[in-house]
Amino acid sequence: MILAVLFANSEGNILVERFNGVPAEERLHWRSFLVKLGADNLKGVKNEELLVASHRSVYIVYTVLGDVSVYVVGKDEYDELALAEVIFVITSAVKDVCGKLPTERLFLDKYGRICLTLDEIIWKGYLENTDKDRIRRLVRLKPPTEF
Amino acid sequence: MAQPFLKKDDDHDDEVDYSPFLGIEKGAVLQEARVFNDPQLDPRRCSQVITKLLYLLNQGETFTKVEATEVFFAVTKLFQSRDLGLRRMVYVIIKELSPSADEVIIVTSSLMKDMTSKTDMYRANAIRVLCQITDGTLLTQIERYLKQAIVDKNPVVASAALVSGIHLLQTNPEIVKRWSNEVQEAVQSRAALVQFHALALLHQIRQNDRLAVNKLVSSLTRGSVRSPLAQCLLIRYTSQVIRESASNTQTGDRPFYDFLEGCLRHKAEMVIFEAARAITELNGVTSRELTPAITVLQLFLSSTKPVLRFAAVRTLNKVAMTHPIAVTNCNIDMESLISDQNRSIATLAITTLLKTGNESSVDRLMKQITTFMSDIADEFKIVVIEAIRSLCLKFPLKHRSLMNFLSNILREEGGFEYKKAIVDSIVILIRDIPEAKESGLLHLCEFIEDCEFTYLSTQILHFLGIEGPKTSDPSKYIRYIYNRVHLENATVRAGAVSTLAKFGAMVDSLKPRIFILLRRCLFDTDDEVRDRATLYLNTLGADGAVEDMKEFLFGSLDIPLVNLERSLKNYEPSEESFDINSVPKEVKIQPLAEKKAPGKKPTGLGGPPPGPPSTIDAYEKLLSSIPEFANFGKLFKSSAPVELTEAETEYAVNVVKHIFDGHVVFQYNCTNTIPEQLLENVTVIVDASEAEEFAEVASKPLRSLPYDSPGQTFVAFEKPEGVPAVGKFSNMLRFIVKEVDPSTGEAEDDGVEDEYQLEELEVVAADYMLKVGVSNFRNAWESMGPDCERVDEYDLGPRENLAEAVNAVINLLGMQPCEGTEVVPSNSRSHTCLLSGVYIGNVKVLVRLQFGIDGPKDVAMKLAVRSEDEAVSDAIHEIVASG
Repeated sequence: MILAVLFANSEGNILVERFNGVPAEERLHWRSFLVKLGADNLKGVKNEELLVASHRSVYIVYTVLGDVSVYVVGKDEYDELALAEVIFVITSAVKDVCGKLPTERLFLDKYGRICLTLDEIIWKGYLENTDKDRIRRLVRLKPPTEF
Repeated sequence: MAQPFLKKDDDHDDEVDYSPFLGIEKGAVLQEARVFNDPQLDPRRCSQVITKLLYLLNQGETFTKVEATEVFFAVTKLFQSRDLGLRRMVYVIIKELSPSADEVIIVTSSLMKDMTSKTDMYRANAIRVLCQITDGTLLTQIERYLKQAIVDKNPVVASAALVSGIHLLQTNPEIVKRWSNEVQEAVQSRAALVQFHALALLHQIRQNDRLAVNKLVSSLTRGSVRSPLAQCLLIRYTSQVIRESASNTQTGDRPFYDFLEGCLRHKAEMVIFEAARAITELNGVTSRELTPAITVLQLFLSSTKPVLRFAAVRTLNKVAMTHPIAVTNCNIDMESLISDQNRSIATLAITTLLKTGNESSVDRLMKQITTFMSDIADEFKIVVIEAIRSLCLKFPLKHRSLMNFLSNILREEGGFEYKKAIVDSIVILIRDIPEAKESGLLHLCEFIEDCEFTYLSTQILHFLGIEGPKTSDPSKYIRYIYNRVHLENATVRAGAVSTLAKFGAMVDSLKPRIFILLRRCLFDTDDEVRDRATLYLNTLGADGAVEDMKEFLFGSLDIPLVNLERSLKNYEPSEESFDINSVPKEVKIQPLAEKKAPGKKPTGLGGPPPGPPSTIDAYEKLLSSIPEFANFGKLFKSSAPVELTEAETEYAVNVVKHIFDGHVVFQYNCTNTIPEQLLENVTVIVDASEAEEFAEVASKPLRSLPYDSPGQTFVAFEKPEGVPAVGKFSNMLRFIVKEVDPSTGEAEDDGVEDEYQLEELEVVAADYMLKVGVSNFRNAWESMGPDCERVDEYDLGPRENLAEAVNAVINLLGMQPCEGTEVVPSNSRSHTCLLSGVYIGNVKVLVRLQFGIDGPKDVAMKLAVRSEDEAVSDAIHEIVASG
């Protein structure tokens, strides 16, 4: 299951935080753990270069995209490689929504669209759609082109 | 909230500080949500408000029940709008608000309308929303549509229904299982994602049906799976089938191995990796099977993608634990990963190298690690320390450079867990490598000069007290220890006083000087420190036997602390002082019956409360309250209950064996499971003809045994004092049965005598052994000395594996495994197991078992026993020889 998707700005403030199957009392812990992980490791990292970590039986893949950092956390079948796939879908879809690498402002401007995009990519902890063009159509309630 | 929101132009780089959500406030947004009720809906404005609501929710903001309900009702009005963008937002916000069961009804009809809509995308989204908020009843109503949706031509609709199925399977499995045929059809879909989701759902539906999973895997591994994601799932399911079928096919090729091997040549890296990992995790994987997998993982080590490097090194790290030689080829690639920017990868590389490296590469590796250590976090450092510890134990000749490394990093900054890991490692090296002792102790001494952790200081002082006096020049440690008395907090000072006393007791030449130092501690500000100093001055100065004093200072407290704590709590201050010998020594009582009748519900112990910690106390109280048994002396041990009846029989009986020095008492716990019967005068007739050394002396019948109300009857035997007599006992339950009128619950006056055959019961050697652990086996073993040691070798014959042989011997002896040595790593060819216990007559026994297994699975065992009595050491050998 994909346990969490989190976007933060360069100061570590949360922009989007979506958990699946994580008890409410553990969310704060995860939030601070991820933000600290980013603060420790993301300096100087190139855009979309993936970093990876594991914490107990849970995997974390994270990266930088413009002014925002993106974290995905998973376990079981969502190991580091599956999460790399998930974060790839997320980053390409977000870039697609923003039209370029997002600044924090741009990200917030497109907030609604980004929420819809994430809703198409992950649903209750499972990867649902992987193609950015298809996702772009789906958030506009347009059927996929291949259909 | 009058800020402009979502400007038309996208270029805001000159206004980076401005956030569209600046000053956003829940109350204001909830006010804004009133626009949803406008008769003339403005879709754009409504979308903006929903975005703000989403932003609040994504920031962790919560709505009260009233607020959520209000927003939810308002949102339902938006179904009137035909604006596509707004409708999409509505779907999201309903899911986020997750309305309660009584509110759902408001949107059900709108969503059901969307679900049957001609617009495909309405259908897909409505399915997802409905499945999130639905309950069982509603689900039955929409089941028909969902089944259709699974085989819908539009892949988005099909995927929505399939993923919904995965979620619904958790809450309504019986409904989702009815969709098997449709899901099966979807597995053949040409759309890659539909196939992926269908495969996941089909496997979950059938996961408990081994044959069906096998069939699924067989058919798909022959056909083509479209997406790499689905292929990964298939590899996982295939490994599961291989795992489960391995035990049936001992010989010949492994089923499906060719499929896994074929996946190593797949074009998607994800699939290649999944197959490689599946191969490395096969049970009893051979080098021939392993080689192609290791080759692809080695290629991944130099991949440009960090995730692939991480995945590969993580898998190789695991393989190195069981097949270090197989990984050696990758060492060069792995060494280059030590400098990887991603510290997780670097740490895994280092620890793998430490596992696979040879003696000649140690120095080079240590040099690389030294530069690496400064820029990783504590949790990574701990992993490295643990790897270095195992390396040092593997190559004891390298102790000098490894010990130096440990002492250097001990001086650097670090948190408690990290420092503890280093100290633990040094202590283990000192214990296991005699040459490393003196330098290790000095490193520890230097560390406590500047240690900020009280726990570590006291641990080190304790350790110094045990090991320091045995070195060539014990006096050099005194200064470090005595410094603690001046410079530290009370806890550490008290520890230092105890350590000084140990030096005084062991080294006669130091005794006068230790006395001077201890006398100075009499004026300490803390009473514990003063008390200890007084105690030790008196003990060391007394003319009593030197052995007693050493036992007092060095003897381990052979009582589990929980038991001591409980006994102290129960102790009521009186004339009689607390007697430490009254504290039970048994580590824990097995709460469950030994499995003679598996699957049986626990019958309870009747009178005494059945909670495990208090069981032994309760037994003791119960037995001492029965006059017939009052003069049997102190209870040595009570066994776990042994079932004497099969599950679901009319009468459930289990027995607890109570062992005294010269007696054995069987406590039969009986339960009558027939409501129409009352049993009276219940006894157990025991035939001890196969237990020659036992003679029945008393029997205590149970007067009445009503339905479902457990009771006990007892039979006592005399046996030769202190002798671990064994034997077999057959048991017959005898009673008078009376009919009971179920309506009134009254029993008839007249009863009939009846009997009920119970299973046999054995008193075995393990019944005379108490499971009593020791905190440090090596110290206990050495202090016991070789005087009463008995060593012999045994052939245990063919066994399934080493673990089974180890378990059999532990159970035979009934002793407490120490230091986790009861766990045998899989695929081990040899194993050492350490046991400790107290034999009847209160004789401490330590056992060291060394096992080895050869090709045809023949197990040989070397048994070394040390105890305080050679007759007992011999007795342990006899137990094994006759077992």
